[in-house]
Amino acid sequence: MTPALEIHDLTVAFDRKPVLWNIDLMIPEGKLVGIIGPNGAGKSTLIKAMMGILPLSSGYVKIFDKPLDDIRDRISYVPQRESVDWDFPASVLDVVLMGRYSKLGLFKRPRKADRDAALECIKKVGMEGFINRQISQLSGGQQQRTFLARALAQQADMYFMDEPFAGVDAATEKAIVTLLRNMTAQNKTVIVVHHDLQSVSQYFDWVIMLNTRLVAAGPTATTFTSKNLETTYGGKLTLLTDVADLMRRENYPSREENIIQP
Amino acid sequence: MNNDLSIILTASLVSASCALLGCFLILRKMAMVGDAISHAVLPGIVIAFLVSGSRDSVTMLLGAGIIGMFTTFLIEFFHKKARLQTDASIGVTFTWLFAIGVVLISLFAGKVDLDQDCVLYGEIAYVPLDVIITQGGINLGPKALYVSGIILIVNLLFIFLAYRKLFLTTFDPAFASAIGISTALWHYAIMGAVSMTTVASFESVGAILVVALLIAPAATAYLITDNFKMMLALACLFGVLSSIGGYYLAVWLDGSIAGAIATISGLLFGLVMILSPTHGLFFKKIKAVAH
Repeated sequence: MTPALEIHDLTVAFDRKPVLWNIDLMIPEGKLVGIIGPNGAGKSTLIKAMMGILPLSSGYVKIFDKPLDDIRDRISYVPQRESVDWDFPASVLDVVLMGRYSKLGLFKRPRKADRDAALECIKKVGMEGFINRQISQLSGGQQQRTFLARALAQQADMYFMDEPFAGVDAATEKAIVTLLRNMTAQNKTVIVVHHDLQSVSQYFDWVIMLNTRLVAAGPTATTFTSKNLETTYGGKLTLLTDVADLMRRENYPSREENIIQP
Repeated sequence: MNNDLSIILTASLVSASCALLGCFLILRKMAMVGDAISHAVLPGIVIAFLVSGSRDSVTMLLGAGIIGMFTTFLIEFFHKKARLQTDASIGVTFTWLFAIGVVLISLFAGKVDLDQDCVLYGEIAYVPLDVIITQGGINLGPKALYVSGIILIVNLLFIFLAYRKLFLTTFDPAFASAIGISTALWHYAIMGAVSMTTVASFESVGAILVVALLIAPAATAYLITDNFKMMLALACLFGVLSSIGGYYLAVWLDGSIAGAIATISGLLFGLVMILSPTHGLFFKKIKAVAH
């Protein structure tokens, strides 16, 4: 089986200082993938590099065994919520319709089919009561749902999401996770930058642990171990105690003996 | 054609073009890039003039267009490569280019039929004097009217055809690049349009006041509406209102028309700022008291 995404020898540098160093990994199709690591580990940079919106210093990325530019219409992106200006004069529908733009030609206008698709995605994220609401008048969770609906409207096969759970309420988080589960059930690959270590084993099938270099990548059950967590978050004492707590609560160490180190 | 009417019409066409592009500049947080371009195109105009030896509008537009793009490029370059803050790189770029333009004008003052005052402040009152006359001797009306009309049509076509790409790259450039829409291409396209429009507005309102037309009507529209298409329409409306109001203010005061137009656009902004039903200070106060 060809992997959904394959990265070889990827290095990204800003101003000659490497932010990502020599990353090699592959992700199988239809998985819900979490990217975790401390602040400044290069998590957002990694997904931006995967989508080819940052220049690579070395290496390559292949999605569905093809170079990026051939499969652009099969990938979608949910940026960090703070990355845009929410005071922009646009409604929820305007934003979700943007998800249809890649399906339209250069100068074509959206047709009724596009509108219907957008409306259906708005319904999927439970925002049907806010279709014409200006986006600055939404709560953080609603803004995140709007972004998600836009990505859904694209009907892509691979989704990249940058911290979709940041600043959203518990109900929205749960709704989003259910939605992501449904997507992976339809064999879509979803790659999520994630912050909260507590929920990793509950949410993700596959995990990428990152700290400038790749620490580990693989199925959550065998990869999300205390040893890997220590390597990923090493040196950050407060985090280490958090991790230790987590380990104790979840009884992780008992599994550790069965791990085959790569 | 009546003199008053041709001046008002020219000013209105120019301010509508500026207002449309201004909406994009504001939302891209690049209002000052508009300022920079409007000043920096000066050497472009002078050089085009010296090379071609004529005040032919097409040559001027080309010269200015090239320098306008060059300005945008320089600003990006200083910001990205020299790691200068955006505002600092704008400041360095446009003052430098503008200064070159001023030096060029003063150097070639004898050969160039360009007046510094006219370039800086514009002289829209002369619009009716520069008319197009056919070989048969028929007066077709002021040249500036045709130039600004064509520029407005070009801008309208540009925005109408590329509306979605412009909207998306303005709102969320990261998403746009992820789905394969070139943000750099549309960035330079807008800057090209701003350069062209600025030059076309030069003769009427000058290098300094064109900034008022780029920013003030769009900023005013931004205060009242939450809908982008509405914002474009309202910005044009405010531009046209400023032109008409400004003309009559100037006649009444017997002062500079361009100055009066910019003054009115500022006044309109102030009025809307206070009285806007949704965001206005006045209604917010009333609501606060009512609660």
